Amino acid sequence: MAGKRIRHRGAESTEHHQKTRFLVLSLCALCLCGKTLLGAALDACRQHLDRGRITEARRCYLDAGRATSDPRLLAEIYWKLGDKHKANDLFRAAVAAQPKDAERRVAWGRLFLEAYQKDEAAKLFKEALELDPRSAEAHLGAALVASGSFESAAVEQAKKALEINPKLSEAHTLLASLALEEDDAKAAGEHLGRALEGGGSPLQAYALKGAIDLLSGKNDSEWTAKALAHNPRYGEAWATPAHFFVITRRYRQAVDLYRRAIEIHPELWEAHAQLGVNLWRLGDEAGARRHLELAYSGDRFSAVTVNSLKLMDSMKRFQTHSTPRIILKLDEKEAELLRPYVEELLLKAIDTFSKKYNFAPERPVQLEVFPNHEDFAVRTMGMPGLGALGVTFGYVVAMDSPSARPPGGFHWGSTLWHELNHVFVLGMTGHKAPRWISEGLAVYEELAAGEGWGDRLTPDVIRAIKDKRLLPIAELDKGFVRPRYPSQVPVSYFQAGAVCEMIAQKWGFQKLLAMLRAYTEGKTTPQVVRQELGLEPAQFDEQFQAFLRPRTDKVVGSFEEWRKLMETAVKLARDKNFTALVEPARRARDLYPEYVEAGNPYELLAEALAERGDKAGAAKELEAYRLAGGHSPRALKKLAELEQELGRKDRASHVLEQLLWVWPGDEELHAKLGDALLGSNQPQRAAREFQALLALKPLDPAAAHYNLARAYHQMKNREKTREHLLSALETAPGYRPAQKLLLEINR
Amino acid sequence: MWLLAAALAAPLPAADTYFLIAGGLGGEPDYEKRFAVYVGDLEKLGRSLAGDASRVTALSGKAATREALQASFDNLARSTTPADAVAVFLIGHGSLDTNVYKFNIPGPDVTVEDLRGWLDRLQAGRQLVVAATSSSGACHDKLARDGRIVVTATRSGTERNAVVFARYWVEALRDPAADGDKNQTISALEAFRYAEEKVKRFYSDQKRLATEHPRLEGKLAGSFVLARLGDAAVAANDPARRKLLTQRENLEQQIDALKLRKSALSNEQYKKELERLLLELARIQEAIESGR
Repeated sequence: MAGKRIRHRGAESTEHHQKTRFLVLSLCALCLCGKTLLGAALDACRQHLDRGRITEARRCYLDAGRATSDPRLLAEIYWKLGDKHKANDLFRAAVAAQPKDAERRVAWGRLFLEAYQKDEAAKLFKEALELDPRSAEAHLGAALVASGSFESAAVEQAKKALEINPKLSEAHTLLASLALEEDDAKAAGEHLGRALEGGGSPLQAYALKGAIDLLSGKNDSEWTAKALAHNPRYGEAWATPAHFFVITRRYRQAVDLYRRAIEIHPELWEAHAQLGVNLWRLGDEAGARRHLELAYSGDRFSAVTVNSLKLMDSMKRFQTHSTPRIILKLDEKEAELLRPYVEELLLKAIDTFSKKYNFAPERPVQLEVFPNHEDFAVRTMGMPGLGALGVTFGYVVAMDSPSARPPGGFHWGSTLWHELNHVFVLGMTGHKAPRWISEGLAVYEELAAGEGWGDRLTPDVIRAIKDKRLLPIAELDKGFVRPRYPSQVPVSYFQAGAVCEMIAQKWGFQKLLAMLRAYTEGKTTPQVVRQELGLEPAQFDEQFQAFLRPRTDKVVGSFEEWRKLMETAVKLARDKNFTALVEPARRARDLYPEYVEAGNPYELLAEALAERGDKAGAAKELEAYRLAGGHSPRALKKLAELEQELGRKDRASHVLEQLLWVWPGDEELHAKLGDALLGSNQPQRAAREFQALLALKPLDPAAAHYNLARAYHQMKNREKTREHLLSALETAPGYRPAQKLLLEINR
Repeated sequence: MWLLAAALAAPLPAADTYFLIAGGLGGEPDYEKRFAVYVGDLEKLGRSLAGDASRVTALSGKAATREALQASFDNLARSTTPADAVAVFLIGHGSLDTNVYKFNIPGPDVTVEDLRGWLDRLQAGRQLVVAATSSSGACHDKLARDGRIVVTATRSGTERNAVVFARYWVEALRDPAADGDKNQTISALEAFRYAEEKVKRFYSDQKRLATEHPRLEGKLAGSFVLARLGDAAVAANDPARRKLLTQRENLEQQIDALKLRKSALSNEQYKKELERLLLELARIQEAIESGR
């Protein structure tokens, strides 16, 4: 084994080294039980580590390593000496040597967990449980895997581990951590008490108890001091609470805690990585890069570190547009197209919310728009695979570009509006607003932003209401943090939005602002509900159910009937039996008017009516669809076309304008809208559309330049008219309309 | 540069243009319907350009057999002269069978060897073959010949998935946006560029990996006219206009030459000279149209 450096240390260490070696060899020589004795020697090494005696721990492991050829023991030794690759090979050999030993697989799984490879870890824990369903450690391993992605299985598995071994401290600390993630300090405290009774290292328990104190507003905690007394290098005493500040979006505090962690343990690479990620969330790119690079130098296994650094590099192709109020970062390939629209909406949102929430942003709002969804996911959580469309970190907002999804995949205008609302709510509450109210307000504001904006009552929500799975107000945050069923997160968004809507209706919007202020004072949801609404939480829940009933009772009660009607209508549409489909489609529409997903009755009816020449009827259905929240580009373009054919040009233009907030990457949209705006003597807005068209590198650049020339001509800007006419004619010298305009401006 | 090529190779008058359109087996009702619609659309477009329905043959569904195709080619062999142009469109699915491309039709499939044999027998000096099918890229080597333009939906025979190219090819022949140089005609090159771009955007918008990459080989695709839009160019019969037409052609050539010299001039010089030529061109065109 290696160890030259260790060997050449001072006399005291040499003596210690010799003593340990003697002990190990003697015990082996007595042949009392090779594995157990060496296990005991490793306990001594683990003790050193636990106490932060790194040098002693290394020496101890080196000595132990020289005294054994058991791959299982050597695996741990190499692991603790920092050679995970070698440890991995040794675990493989250990498992091959004793394939029925569940413990080996569990230990191996823990190595993979530490190397961030949770899929491999999960497999090993599963195999261990197949060998030994009563392995508490394997259940704990599975719980740890699930906890990394906030799955409810984490709690179930941890509880199973404790059923088998009630003294398994680590299971208690895990349950404490999971409870704290759901803001249940009481349950967390109870588990930590049991963890400390169970023996073993108290460090994790101390760190979590410290977290409870810091989260409650204390500046310091005796538990942090205890942890550091036990192990002065235990950076996790600060990094552990930092995690909870991150998930409650208090990034500044998290950054301070991570800094403290690396101060006492400069090689705590995970803390460097998280510090980097969170500095980036706060807009400090230079600081972020520095810590991420440090993290990478010490730990190349971390996908968060690697992904974040790669993304930082790829963002060099983003264009930044800064003003005193906003910083806009757009990918260079779509910056020219998107900027005018994004900037307009961003400023509108800032103006609207500043007034409504009586809060002025203290620094420019930074918005980053990602055409690649996985880049957005990495920006958000360091890892791909995020389901969200937008995230707010404070004054920094990241979101998917409309081009990140197929056309009509989402309403980017609504998403931006939603995220901007978060900027204000987080800003004015110092990030203390709980999740339910910040999401609820954002959803509420989306619906208020424009006709057809925001999401509607979906089948998932209906099923949740039918199955009585809406959460009490006091527990609504849990629906966002650790969903108990697959659609609980979107259901919770809907519920939170509806709660805010009810409060605004019954008590007035100002009451919502008052509630935000109460949260700033550190009150819990039950306290806020009592104080501001004069209701017990249970009473509030009853009133909420009553509020929801008129909107949902009909569809909840007749959901099966609706489903059958839809099946019938869709089948008839597929068979082009338009006459027959009208009746079931109308009934379905009336039962569930908020249903605007693919195959909705509005579009089916519009197609059927258009087939029989009833353009006005078809337009009426599509307009109802649009107002109900439908935003399929195909349907909206059809509506605009119908309005045009019916002579309702203003309405046609209005519909096309709404489509800008869904799918601005459509050449035809800009061309038609530009034409319509020119026709109604709005050349500035028309020019914006034709510029957008040019930014799309259209199939017909000559026509785009010509139309832009027309717009400038209406604005009496001769220079720009000439410029674009020349561009049009350079591409197509024989282009008659452009030739005529050129002659006109030269007369 | 492709627009320059298209401009330099101004549409040459063919004596007559003949169309042969074949829609192959769909395999599923949805494809069957689509292919039938495309064939129908191309037939209409062909008749509009050819000006004579007898020069357009469309075979679809059960009628599109090997025998029927052979008979159609035999007919073309008899009817066409070296001055004529022939456009053959294959719409459907293709396959690669031991490195041989096959167009899937009812009964025995048509192979690329069959196609080559039939095409080589035609006297028509200008030929366009558009194989808007999967695996069609395998046709290029076999069909390449002077005077023949080959357009395929795929780059090679190994791109085996069903293609969307046909839809955009048909769309190109109807969409004024495809007329890049605004000369009121759509050439094979312009149609190809339009369809190629639309195919690329289809996959990128849908966030799908592109499984087809259209390809064009052969010269003078810019002068092979496939469609006319609006009121196309006028009268070469009036002597006064003939003089104006000549002046117009000269100006167009001067504009092309100026564009080639663009990098050697300052921006202002270039724009000034361009504007001067364009104004003159516009006046000439006005004169042509007013009959002066």
